[in-house]
Amino acid sequence: MFSEVKKDDMTALKVINLSKTYRESTGEVHALGPVSFEMETGEFLCFLGPTGCGKTTLLRTIAGLEKPDTGKVIIPSRSGGEEPVIGYVFQQGALFPWMSIFANLEFPLKAKKIVKDSRREKVESMLEMMGLSSFASSYPHQLSGGMQQRAALARSLVMEPDLLLMDEPFSSLDTRTSQKLQENLRDLLKKASTTVLFVTHNIEEAVYLAGEIIVLGHRPGRIVRRETIDLSDPRSRVSESFTEYLVSLRKTFESLVSD
Amino acid sequence: MANPGKLIYSGFTLSVHGVLEDNEIDSIREFIDEHKRSIYDAGKLVLDFSDSPGIESVAAAVLYGSCKRFICAGVKVRRNGASAVIEKLFETLAKFDSMPDPQKKRLSIRDYFENIGENVYELGKTLYALGHFFGETIYAFTGMLLHPLKVRWAMVFYYMEESGYKAIPIIAVLTWLLGVVLGYQAGFQMREFGAETFMPAMIGYMVTWEIGPMLTAVLVAGRSGSAYAAEIGTMQVREEVDALRVMGFDVFSYLVTPKMIALLCVMPFLVLLANFAGVFGGLLAGSLFLNLPASTFISQLGKALIPLDVLWGMLKSLIYAVIIANTGSFMGMRVRGGASAVGKATTAAVVLSIFMVIIADALLSLVFVHIRPGLSM
Repeated sequence: MFSEVKKDDMTALKVINLSKTYRESTGEVHALGPVSFEMETGEFLCFLGPTGCGKTTLLRTIAGLEKPDTGKVIIPSRSGGEEPVIGYVFQQGALFPWMSIFANLEFPLKAKKIVKDSRREKVESMLEMMGLSSFASSYPHQLSGGMQQRAALARSLVMEPDLLLMDEPFSSLDTRTSQKLQENLRDLLKKASTTVLFVTHNIEEAVYLAGEIIVLGHRPGRIVRRETIDLSDPRSRVSESFTEYLVSLRKTFESLVSD
Repeated sequence: MANPGKLIYSGFTLSVHGVLEDNEIDSIREFIDEHKRSIYDAGKLVLDFSDSPGIESVAAAVLYGSCKRFICAGVKVRRNGASAVIEKLFETLAKFDSMPDPQKKRLSIRDYFENIGENVYELGKTLYALGHFFGETIYAFTGMLLHPLKVRWAMVFYYMEESGYKAIPIIAVLTWLLGVVLGYQAGFQMREFGAETFMPAMIGYMVTWEIGPMLTAVLVAGRSGSAYAAEIGTMQVREEVDALRVMGFDVFSYLVTPKMIALLCVMPFLVLLANFAGVFGGLLAGSLFLNLPASTFISQLGKALIPLDVLWGMLKSLIYAVIIANTGSFMGMRVRGGASAVGKATTAAVVLSIFMVIIADALLSLVFVHIRPGLSM
């Protein structure tokens, strides 16, 4: 599924005619597509769509967790390895409960066969950057929901992924914590210049975070609108232009729901 | 009662006076409820419409429904003095009532066969997927044999303790008890013919060939197969399995093979323990209830058993270990959805493991007949 693209190419992800149908004993569910789009390195693309429109299916297919029925995904590897490194932040964090936060962050680096000293150094600096240094020896259940999601994000970022996939990571948190994490994420990504594909059903979250938004229609998920968010940093949730984007996208969204 | 005088019940006659209206259905139901005991006792009911010029349709439907329940309970119901309009209304209700409900249509023979076919197809698909899963695990396992350092030995030792060491008491007690019961019951029957000295041989064969390996496999499937399914199923629900995959881990090497290696290491010894406990139970039954001295028991047992008998049970347990570890893990991996799916997966894991262990046992018995001296006919 993955194939090499020239190193000087700025393409970080290429999705061509991707579609997916689940075949259950109760019948077939056409969940996605066909969908085609491209992303450039360092871009923050947000997929916005109502619940059940195939957003998670899209992410899972890009990550290689589901096999697509048609189409293909091209993710060039920039780290020099054969396979591209993909980070995935799940809805519930998916931290391993039997490991401390430090061990959770160290774990993917072991898979990449990074030597112990370098591993420790990377994990420690990531923990510090995420403000989690004092929780290094804690276990996930000892942390609040927000902290757990922050640790999950740290675990994905420590791998220095070619592409970071985020599946509604803040949807189970309260509004204040969620906004705080969104602010952290923007600050962090500015420094790291990671390519991010973010999925959400929250319009405000999408406008706050994304450089570009793609609205997905009802199942089977298809692209109905593509919008570049041209807002300067730091983004303010109460600015006029922010509200304009919000209102415009809400109209598209409501027309989808009422269809 | 809301409408006194419109309905009167006396003897076994329910007389309707005036027009029963749709808004009176509650009071109609209440009235019938109040008298249903007497109607059941009387065994018959006459609906007398002599004083009623008509009845509205919903009220008629309620009355018709009540009468139907009475008829089902064996009460004879008939109408008396009903006008043509009322009679027609009841006939229409009866006509609609007898029409088949498309939702609850009776299954035709074709539907039965279709259902059977569908179930067989689903079972075939599950077994195919299970076979595929076995293949993947064996592939990962052979890869690990070539690189033993890649095995997560800490997890192997953990599962050896959980599935082996902690299972010792229950396996020892149950096989011992079964040995006592079988020894006593078999010996008691044999004594009728003065053949109780053959009881040790019988217990020896039964325990080493079947009871020891089989009971151990059933208990391990119940204790550990279900635990494996629950553990992996919960990880699946919490997306931890997907997290492992995205990080580039081979979930078979990481989650399944440590369990299988652990079971492969402990099962033969659990079977050996079960054999000892079972035979000891037989010995106890002999000396306590049948006046069969322990020395006689042991010498008789020594004459009957050969090392292959014990070894075969231990070898069989290796196959059971592969079945239990794989089926438990497979059912865990198939979990989709929430917590209830984990519960279903654990049950399915135990049922399918035991089913497959028994099938494997039957097939292995066929082989055993040919390789054990003195068994082939």
